[in-house]
Amino acid sequence: MLSGPTSSLSALRQLLATRFPTAAHGRAAPLVTGLPGIDELTGGLPRPALTEMVCAAPSCGSQLFLGQLLAVTRAEAWRLALVDAGDAFAPDSWPPAHLEHLVWIRARDAAEAMAAADLLARDANFALLALDLRHAPRAQLRRIPSTSWYRLQRALEPTTLATVVLTPFPLVPSAHLRFELNSSHASDALEQARPTLAVRLCPALLRQRHGDLAATG
Amino acid sequence: MFAVLCVPAFALQAILRVEPALAGKPLALLVPGRRGQVIEECNELAIAEGVSPGYSAPRAQARCPGIILRPRQPDLESDARDTLLAAAFGITAYVESTAPGICTLGLEQLAAARHLPALQHTLAQLAGLGLPASAGLATTPLLALYAARHAPPGQVLPGDRAFLAPLPVAAAEPSPELAPVLASWGIHTLGQLTALAKADVAQRLGREGLALWERAAGETTRPLDVTCPAQEFTARFDCEHELETLEPLLFILRRSVDRLALELANAHQAALAIDLALDLADDAQYRQSLRLPEPVTSADILFRALQAHLETVRTTAGITGVRLRLEAGRITVRQQGLFDGGLRDPHGFADTLARVTALVGAGRAGRPVPADTHQPDVFSLVAPPPTLQPLSAGFSLPPCGLPLRRHRPPTPARVALAEARPAYVSAAGVEGNVTTAIGPWLGSGHWWEAGRCWHQEEWDVELAGGGLYRLAHLPRQGWFVEGEYD
Repeated sequence: MLSGPTSSLSALRQLLATRFPTAAHGRAAPLVTGLPGIDELTGGLPRPALTEMVCAAPSCGSQLFLGQLLAVTRAEAWRLALVDAGDAFAPDSWPPAHLEHLVWIRARDAAEAMAAADLLARDANFALLALDLRHAPRAQLRRIPSTSWYRLQRALEPTTLATVVLTPFPLVPSAHLRFELNSSHASDALEQARPTLAVRLCPALLRQRHGDLAATG
Repeated sequence: MFAVLCVPAFALQAILRVEPALAGKPLALLVPGRRGQVIEECNELAIAEGVSPGYSAPRAQARCPGIILRPRQPDLESDARDTLLAAAFGITAYVESTAPGICTLGLEQLAAARHLPALQHTLAQLAGLGLPASAGLATTPLLALYAARHAPPGQVLPGDRAFLAPLPVAAAEPSPELAPVLASWGIHTLGQLTALAKADVAQRLGREGLALWERAAGETTRPLDVTCPAQEFTARFDCEHELETLEPLLFILRRSVDRLALELANAHQAALAIDLALDLADDAQYRQSLRLPEPVTSADILFRALQAHLETVRTTAGITGVRLRLEAGRITVRQQGLFDGGLRDPHGFADTLARVTALVGAGRAGRPVPADTHQPDVFSLVAPPPTLQPLSAGFSLPPCGLPLRRHRPPTPARVALAEARPAYVSAAGVEGNVTTAIGPWLGSGHWWEAGRCWHQEEWDVELAGGGLYRLAHLPRQGWFVEGEYD
């Protein structure tokens, strides 16, 4: 049972955290993605926090989203770490200039990808960490204990790192934001300009948490 | 002024530096004698059990059954001597390696007010490096030596005449012939000896007596035989037993790295690369040169680089020797450009990459560089650049449709054709009627090189259930799903 002054202080902290979610943790400004479908809803990717992008349909544009993050971070001369659990990233799909700032980790399975992400999350040189779990077997993904996600969240807290986790189904309990891409592109998308396709991406917002993740999550 | 740094029981201490587990046990050093192995040095625990230098090994074991007997280890002593000198060079450039475990420093170039703090700092540094020492500070090298020998461990004792008087005559090292003569005269301390007139002592004991009197008075002074600081930053260690795990190897390396970092700092240089060689029990040698992201003098960073690398190494046999060499260069001073995307912590970045590489395996982490070829999925992984230059104006995403997510390796598929176009696809995780098929896109290359020739036919297909895929048909191998447009 909390004493009177302590509970008042706690209530005040909660109130401040609700009213000023960014200021409450001294968070860095969100990472603006350049995608109106995300930036207009949430201001960008929160930092430091986990953002989950659920890729519920084939050819839903998740790689297009990753490409947009590559472009945005390259334009700012920030470093991006991509932990690729399915070894699916195709360097020849991108102009070499987009890849100069990329550190690509070709993990063999989900557990290895989580361990690599845990190491990278502690490095102050990166601005964005992308953890791609779409190609990992579902059984492996279900075996990731929820404590691993909270551990990753805790590792991010002292940093200014934005972290995106690309998953085939909702998976990350400590995600601050959860989006879903659920419509497949048609074959005419193969002929269209990539910037046009990127701007049209409109993921559905499934979750947005405010305040202290430890308290809510 | 002169100072002396003294490491008591130096040869034993050199062993204890790398085997700290021996610290709480009676320990003695064996050397060959006329009639077998005899004890040259022993620690206080052994002395408390009744063991003394000069005892034979069986006699020592009879007195103290738990005593640990070790031969001298010249490599370890050499490394300990270099460490002592490196610490001394941190105070002044006038350093003499007087004897094993003793070095004398000329402090003329150092302000008097800094003598004591500098010596105290060096003693703390030596204790951290596994060499607990004491120091003496006096007007002559000899007085400073007496003071250092009688100072409590870790402390600086100023040497003066008053300090000398109560010391036993043995401190002045009389010859075996003179010692009993003085004892028969009732002279047991240096004060009693120097109370005699110098001329009378010279008249009765001759030139040897005169020299002893001068030593007893601490008057003997001499120029220092100055040692050159290290020009090569190397360390070498031969193991008594094969090392089979990482921990003992890291412990040894830490000691060497600490010393080398000290030598680098004294030389106002920084390490550019680390050359590591491990001698293996099967007479092979493992060699690796680790280039550092930036010149560095910090022992912690050098050690981290070694540790991160060694965590990835598997040797074919146990390790019998370690060689370490630092490639030294000038410390670079450079101002970063306002718009450069430099690394915040270059060593931390290299450390993270090394750890991730240790986790996922070599060749599986880095910056992807597509190869200059039309052959699909050919690229290399290289080290990320230390700085990122800003992009030129007008940069935008290329207009080339959806990017590909590869199936690596490509997924074998069964494809039904209708009018020579894919009509149905069945593969692991990909199945359905093809509603749109665009192609074929023909590709081939290296037809002029045997074994590297490739040829394939590609189709971009949309499935009825949703999803855009790239199919590849290889003449001899059949159909594959190469990836998903996403």
